[in-house]
Amino acid sequence: MKKTINIPLGSQHISLLEPVRFKFECENEKIVGVDSDVGFVHRGIEKACTTKFKYDGIGYVVARVCGLCAITHSLSYTVAIEELLNIEVTSKAKYLRILLLELDRIHSHMLCLSHTCENAGFEAMFMRIMGDRELIMEIQELLTGNRIQFDYINIGGVNRDINLEVATKIVNNLDRVKEKVMGYVDEFTNNWSLSLKFKRIGALSLDDAYKFNAIGPLARASGLNIDVRNEIKYLPYHEIGFKMQTHIDGDINARNIVRLNEILNSIEMCDNILAGIPEGEIQTKYKGKPNGESVVRFEAPRGELMYYVKANGTAMLERVRIKTPTFASIPAFSHIFMGENYADAPAILASFDPCLSCTAK
Amino acid sequence: MKKIKVTLLDIVEEIKSFYDYKKWHFLTINGVALQDNMLEVQWIFSKYETLEEIVIFYVEIQYEDIIPSIVNIIPSAIISQRELVDMFGVEVEGSAKGLYLDKDSIQMPLRGCLL
Repeated sequence: MKKTINIPLGSQHISLLEPVRFKFECENEKIVGVDSDVGFVHRGIEKACTTKFKYDGIGYVVARVCGLCAITHSLSYTVAIEELLNIEVTSKAKYLRILLLELDRIHSHMLCLSHTCENAGFEAMFMRIMGDRELIMEIQELLTGNRIQFDYINIGGVNRDINLEVATKIVNNLDRVKEKVMGYVDEFTNNWSLSLKFKRIGALSLDDAYKFNAIGPLARASGLNIDVRNEIKYLPYHEIGFKMQTHIDGDINARNIVRLNEILNSIEMCDNILAGIPEGEIQTKYKGKPNGESVVRFEAPRGELMYYVKANGTAMLERVRIKTPTFASIPAFSHIFMGENYADAPAILASFDPCLSCTAK
Repeated sequence: MKKIKVTLLDIVEEIKSFYDYKKWHFLTINGVALQDNMLEVQWIFSKYETLEEIVIFYVEIQYEDIIPSIVNIIPSAIISQRELVDMFGVEVEGSAKGLYLDKDSIQMPLRGCLL
């Protein structure tokens, strides 16, 4: 008869400062069973969107779903409403939206990389990356007024224009971040200690990535070509040099490399935007109230974010449905843990870049 | 966005014949409260590497109806099924209550959205 012991990870755990609990059934060090619980702080935002707020204020409410990817939440909701109202946003507003989306991706990926290093016991690298991330936080504050949780998007455009001084600061800081990231690429690729912690650990095969509907860097690290930036018409990603980043190994190292390459691609896209940002207004005027249904997806730093909106021609919506990347990925997470050593669980978990703030919407 | 209305009896077979796991990406299951104690349940898919191709299968049910599970076709659907159970207080085959909401939370909070 097999002897197993149950070891919990969370709901409060030093490796992840958010409330999620994985209960691992272990045979010695090996994980042979996984159970997950995400129901700790459900906030009822979907309900609030249809009972407490009018449609034109909800973009600011859903920005509170998650501090880190507030821009993706408010943009997804806003575009869903713009679709229902047939609003054509100006080119300048579209480029400014992408600029902030990509800045947000850069700092979010840096946060994930730093936590992955911390959970693998490499605290010096954690400190370095978190320190360098401040360069992005600084320019986000210049551009939007906030370091995180920006109220930058509104229906019909964006709330703030960019000036030459801010654009120059962004270009300078991005240059510095690029140089730092090139150093990380070298470190993550060639550091022997890191390779022991990250290579062939927590792997997801391509076939399993398909089967579990994996998304975001988790899927792309397994070779699955899924990136919403490649599948949407709302923003001109192909004009500014978007390139999908994939890997084939599917392990923690592959996820790190995909994120590093995505940071470099995001920097390139931001540079291209700032080099050729169109002239014009940042806001399109609109009339009327939304009516009908729309489904809109955007690529958040952690993967596909979906908003479903149903409106009835009044100021109050009938339904706002938010599908967040982490929540949708929990079956894939549980599958990856199976067969791994319990000691690797914190680093594997950090490499998923889970966001429980999004999950407990 | 293409919406396909099906019956509750046919939904599993419809999805089984439609779903090619290397071609279609399963997004989520959504519930929309309707008038007269009815619920619209939607199974939402997008096509890989294709611009804006979204397909929604939907059924209109009473809250008392039992919704069949699609976990045998799409294993990752379990998480969406359990969310639907918690949020709308419906029964989905093989999907336990309590993933999202604790026992002392307000139960089935989205059921009464239109009430």
